[in-house]
Amino acid sequence: MPDRPDMAAALAAAPLTNLVRAGGEMFAWSERTGRPAAALLGHVVLPLAGPGRTVLVAGPHPDDLVAALTAGGATVTWLLRSLGDAEQAAQDHPAVTVLAGAIGKADLTAGYHLVVAADGIGRLNSAEGDQLPAGELLDRLARAVRPDGALVLVHDNQLGAHHTVRLDPSTRQRDDAAWYPPEAADDPASRAQLTARLTASGLSVDAAWAAFPEPAEPAVLIGGAALGDVTSPLRPWLKTVLGQAYTTAFRGRPVLSDPRRLVDRALRAGAEDTVAGGWLVVAHAPGTEAHTRAWDDVLIGDRSGVHAIGPDGPRTLVPYREVEVRGLRRAGVLRPVPGYQLEQRLFELCAAADVRGLRLEIARYEAWLAGQDLSGPAALADLSSIAVTADGPEVLFANWAPAEPVAVQVALVRALWQFAVRLITWSRPHPWPITASAADLAAILVGMSGRSLADEELRTAVDLQVTLDSAEYGLTPSEQREYRLALLAVQPGTAPVDVAGYRELVEALWRQRYQASHLLAMMEWNEQIIRSRDTALSKMDWELQLYRRTWGGRSLMLARRAYKMVKK
Amino acid sequence: MHHANHHYGHAHILARYCKIPDPMHPPRLRGYLQHGWNIGDGLAPGTPYVAGSPLFVWSEETRRRSWSQGRRNVTVVGAPFSYLVEMAPAVEEPGEGTIFYPFHGWEGQQIFGDHQRLIDEVKETETGPVTACLYWNEYRMRPVRALYEKAGFRVICHGYRGFWWRENNRDFLVNQLAELRRHRRVVSNRLCSAIWYGLLAGREAAVYGDPMVLDNADMTFGGEPRLHRQWPEVYGKETDYAACHQLARAQLGADELAGPAELRKLLGWPKEGYV
Repeated sequence: MPDRPDMAAALAAAPLTNLVRAGGEMFAWSERTGRPAAALLGHVVLPLAGPGRTVLVAGPHPDDLVAALTAGGATVTWLLRSLGDAEQAAQDHPAVTVLAGAIGKADLTAGYHLVVAADGIGRLNSAEGDQLPAGELLDRLARAVRPDGALVLVHDNQLGAHHTVRLDPSTRQRDDAAWYPPEAADDPASRAQLTARLTASGLSVDAAWAAFPEPAEPAVLIGGAALGDVTSPLRPWLKTVLGQAYTTAFRGRPVLSDPRRLVDRALRAGAEDTVAGGWLVVAHAPGTEAHTRAWDDVLIGDRSGVHAIGPDGPRTLVPYREVEVRGLRRAGVLRPVPGYQLEQRLFELCAAADVRGLRLEIARYEAWLAGQDLSGPAALADLSSIAVTADGPEVLFANWAPAEPVAVQVALVRALWQFAVRLITWSRPHPWPITASAADLAAILVGMSGRSLADEELRTAVDLQVTLDSAEYGLTPSEQREYRLALLAVQPGTAPVDVAGYRELVEALWRQRYQASHLLAMMEWNEQIIRSRDTALSKMDWELQLYRRTWGGRSLMLARRAYKMVKK
Repeated sequence: MHHANHHYGHAHILARYCKIPDPMHPPRLRGYLQHGWNIGDGLAPGTPYVAGSPLFVWSEETRRRSWSQGRRNVTVVGAPFSYLVEMAPAVEEPGEGTIFYPFHGWEGQQIFGDHQRLIDEVKETETGPVTACLYWNEYRMRPVRALYEKAGFRVICHGYRGFWWRENNRDFLVNQLAELRRHRRVVSNRLCSAIWYGLLAGREAAVYGDPMVLDNADMTFGGEPRLHRQWPEVYGKETDYAACHQLARAQLGADELAGPAELRKLLGWPKEGYV
């Protein structure tokens, strides 16, 4: 809970003419995060606004989204329950009318061309006054849409992977925001329930995507025919982009279990809708205009821009900005080709202890890599970003390419070593000794490709990985140092270095115990063998003494001494 | 680690394959190498095992069985004999006659059975000259050796496998491969390493005759009756070479062999160029 506001400063400030206290506003409360808007959200929302159109932004939203709506010529009204946040918003956005209060008190009867509720309905009630149930909140939003106007709503999925893996129990007693039960019976709990509820509220649903990884920052939207279609050739590619999205979202966050496993299994089962972070729905109110806008089934938005995957393949909707960071340049590779994901295939072969199959795959990858332009994305592509098609491997997805060409050996070692780290830290079964470190496994994997691995090459590869992750995740110099040390020290008992899951920690603990027990047993064995060798040595010494005592032995010793003296 | 790693010159063959500078004095193997064809967990019964150590087995089947019996650190590397065959130049000659391996005991267990009846059966079945290869302790027993010599067999011994790193015949398997290749057929009265070795070396194989009884035989893994049930293809006086050869490749991990750099790392040996 924030500190109380500075009353003296508040009284001294100029009055805010664009702030309306609607009623039910919350004092001493703030929900500002300063987080930028997800690129995807802007792509969906902004084309629905524009000059001469009125927009209601309901609930806390990123400032830059509101600024972009205003800059686009729309007349924006922003509803915020926190008075402090509303004042700050009114000050920062003079062209925006800010309503401070609960949705139940706000007068929305004028109607809007566009209602944006990308924060969902969870923060529209305030602590004051009646607590409107979920259905009523959705109705209010729907009623605020003018005929032919649109609603963009992001609704949280309580069964989503982000809730399932959350380590923080978020008990009601600990959470200031939980003054009222957050999960209500009438809260839509699936995409179908949500669209049915909006339809019952009088809206027509134009698009309803499953949004990943979290509703607050969707990076991948899957809808239409692509959702749940396990036969789609997009599947390996979706696995890669979802893996990347969850890694970015959960990196460094303690969780119950790595969400990537759960989402990956859901994707294979065609159940990704069930574990999605939420659902992003675009609906319109009936009117006279024809709603002909076609929405793409799959949209992704990240640092490499916003892209849509349609029947004709990928299209870039918002291109990435050309940047060069630490010797890497931005690359927006997006190639949803049919095939199987190389990393997944290697994981399966490892689990089945199929070393013959592993050698074949790794040798093929090595041959492919050697024939690539290694100043391009192939040089830095993870095995999870490579698909093996009928024509050989291809890069599915890449955010970065090196500014200078990378040596084949370094590119190969980095990719295989990273795979080795994942084998250990993701608790994946493999056919090699449990007691092997990531460096050992990397040497074995590189050996499988017919090459050998020098220690300096491994170091260069680890440095390249640190550079790559620093560019991707914006690591500070001290974080980079810490990360490099962590990567160099991946031992059998090492916990995950990216997403720290409790289940993976338990597994790492088992491996640590295994290794510790083994080391203790080794110490005991070493003691025994030293004793045994001491005994053998004593016996041989005794025999030597015995032989030296014989006349023959004595003569030999004398001759030896004489030879040494003569030699001097 | 365990002195059995040096039996039959196993560690020496692997060191040669890995291009270790002095293969006759291989570095210590960081784990236990399966030292004979095995229907158990890969370790010889009673081997004192340092808990948690890597166990290097010959075949994927042994790895699975070993896992099912509680071993966790099990890795398939293939049989040293498979590496030897890989390194040895191929031989085109089909060989002549039969090499016969009577089932043997070892230092701790003697066998009981009628050698003469076995000799008669072999003489009756085999058409060409027969070489009897005796285990070293039976080779030393003059009456046993005499029985085979009297039958007109050429009697040989591949040597002593060694004990506690001493008196190892480092060329044991090298000699065995050469002998196997001299012959057209390899036979035994019990399914054993030599049968698989012969098949891998490209020789016909057959298992027949009195399997004999091992003193205090350990029946934990099913013993002789299980061998019949699980690998019936190799039993009988005439067998299907292609089917048996394929079985031998699987049992000896001939299709799972690691590359030199890979094997060095698996065995805990220094990488090439490092001491």
